[in-house]
Amino acid sequence: MPIVPKIMKQGRLAPFYYLAPALLIMFIFIVYPTFNTLVLSFTNKSGTASAATVCVAGQPCWGVFDDYRYAFTSPEMLIALRNNALWLILMVPATVAIGLIFALLADRVRYESLAKSIIFMPMAISFIGAGVIWRFVYYVNTSGGAQIGLLDAILVKLGFQPVAWLSDPRINNFALMIVGLWLWAGFCMTILSAAVKGLPSEVLEAARVDGAGEWQVFWTIMLPMILPTIIVVTTTLVINILKIFDIVFVMTNGNFGTEVIANRMFQLIVTDVGKSSAIAVVLILLTIPVMIFNVRRFRAEEAAR
Amino acid sequence: MGVASGTEISVIYQWTGNEEAMFNTIMAPFVDACGVKINANSTRDAAVLDTAVKSTPPDILFWPSTSPLQLYADKLLDLTSLGVDASNYADYWQKLGTVNGKLLALPAKTDIKTLIWYSPVQFQANGYQIPTTLNDLETLADTMVSNGQVPWSMGLASTGSDGWPGSDFIQNLLLAMQGPDYVLGLLDGSIPYNDPGVLAAYQLYVKWASDSQYTVGGATGTVNTNFADALLQPFSDPPESMMVDQAGFAAGNIVAAYPNLKYGTDYAFFGFSGAKGVQGSYDLMFAFSDTPVVKAMLAYITGPVGAANWAETGFSIDPNKLAQGHFTDPVIADMAKVLETAQGFTPDLGDTLGGTFQAAEWKAIVDSVQGADIQTELNTAEAAQMATLGK
Repeated sequence: MPIVPKIMKQGRLAPFYYLAPALLIMFIFIVYPTFNTLVLSFTNKSGTASAATVCVAGQPCWGVFDDYRYAFTSPEMLIALRNNALWLILMVPATVAIGLIFALLADRVRYESLAKSIIFMPMAISFIGAGVIWRFVYYVNTSGGAQIGLLDAILVKLGFQPVAWLSDPRINNFALMIVGLWLWAGFCMTILSAAVKGLPSEVLEAARVDGAGEWQVFWTIMLPMILPTIIVVTTTLVINILKIFDIVFVMTNGNFGTEVIANRMFQLIVTDVGKSSAIAVVLILLTIPVMIFNVRRFRAEEAAR
Repeated sequence: MGVASGTEISVIYQWTGNEEAMFNTIMAPFVDACGVKINANSTRDAAVLDTAVKSTPPDILFWPSTSPLQLYADKLLDLTSLGVDASNYADYWQKLGTVNGKLLALPAKTDIKTLIWYSPVQFQANGYQIPTTLNDLETLADTMVSNGQVPWSMGLASTGSDGWPGSDFIQNLLLAMQGPDYVLGLLDGSIPYNDPGVLAAYQLYVKWASDSQYTVGGATGTVNTNFADALLQPFSDPPESMMVDQAGFAAGNIVAAYPNLKYGTDYAFFGFSGAKGVQGSYDLMFAFSDTPVVKAMLAYITGPVGAANWAETGFSIDPNKLAQGHFTDPVIADMAKVLETAQGFTPDLGDTLGGTFQAAEWKAIVDSVQGADIQTELNTAEAAQMATLGK
């Protein structure tokens, strides 16, 4: 038996000593608040009694789950859920697609770093700041003076009527999504660009030598090879868009049919702890499948190495 | 009055900075004459107040709500028993401060927002008279429209609180159509917010706020224009509108934007046409002890010298009748005149009932202006009203 100095022998508990600080911090800042939010989601507006106590005879009530009745059936939450779905269905794919297009196009020009810097720059702006900037872009002047909002100034110059971008319920959600796209496209581009650059040039050259067109190279070789990266980017976006808040809060505060889940949660946090917590729990539940998917895929990738 | 020189008196209020300085100016003659020292604690935190009241209550409290009446009814002292002459305050103030037959609070100062701002120059040039009834106001608005002018500016936009300017306007309409007792009924829940009376006020408001003949930019203008821009529109050259409903602070904004305009000729206000009461905010005074110095201070504030000093200092409006005629600031003096004729006082509905109802109220206003069904919106707001009041 080799001689091991006593100091290097570690008991079975040793790993836990090393983990303890991290576990403690995790418990204080993640486990406990999550658990507490869950408990609060079953209480009344001040968090002092069961949610069942606010029920009024003769009106619909889900007992202790009454805050969840609000989260799933109230008109404003239905609009919020619809809008979050719209953001996920429209804004996420559009942003990933545009990020990918930028990554591929920038790969082929001499001033690549300049082009990429410009597209990435919005990412350096805080979301609140971006909201304020875009409010000016979308600003509509309804009194006598000239249009000072960029978009309406252009429209009026071209002979069209000015548009109320943020208060017209037919277009305002899309107007907000464009702000999100502007902010996130740079992030998608940067990561996807790295993936494109990491593609082995031999494979691409071999395909081209064999007579594949650029279109064919993209669809049959590049896309499958960068698919894992696309999935990473998409899941990151999905999580961030589920909790989208800043843009909506600054630009419309959820008015005119632009409400989203996180803004509802924020609006209620002071006035109704129970409902706000229930919305937070719904948000956590919506995020969990994406998390599980992410972890599974990560493990599968590790195993494949 | 038997106050020993050097006696200390403890006071809690919410005032800071300039407001605190004005209060000290008002109290200076009393402090100098009696040689007392005011130990003031400035806080906006109800929890700090609560801790103080339960351990060492202040001698005198100034607080901008009636909540101490419910919370500390057994600790507060009857002001009449401390020698205060309540007859200098309007009946509705006495009613507000009376609990179980004891007068526990009187207003030290108040701000009102049942006001319509306009340009006297423009009114004169067009031959418009100041409307004294709601009917006159509607007729005047129609006349302006037929003259090709836009009567109103109604910007509702305000980051994070879109809609509040509309809630002020609608409460003023309620005060004109129904009166102050009706608004107080909405506050205590005896009248539901989806009552036909509220609906009628919303209908008139929406008629004006969503039509580009009646308001700058129509519905789109109303929901997209910031309140601070809207209140300047009647005073631009040429004016974009004729009138704007706004609180007393508008004077400061107008002067800041147009330093050459003179109050009284270029810009002025009149009390909301036909309003039977006013809405606004107040600081009430309460007493927790009956020492000679407390009696002396209350006698000073509620008596002729203190009231005159309060009015001359220009610390909002002193609703004390003894202050009448002593206001030196022309804007405050005119607001005091509006208050003098009021038959009731109502606090802001949304501010008083709080967040959940307020958010529902603002949303009802914004959505109604954008064309949503008003009754449906009011039903939602009524649910929030009853939930807030626990009914």
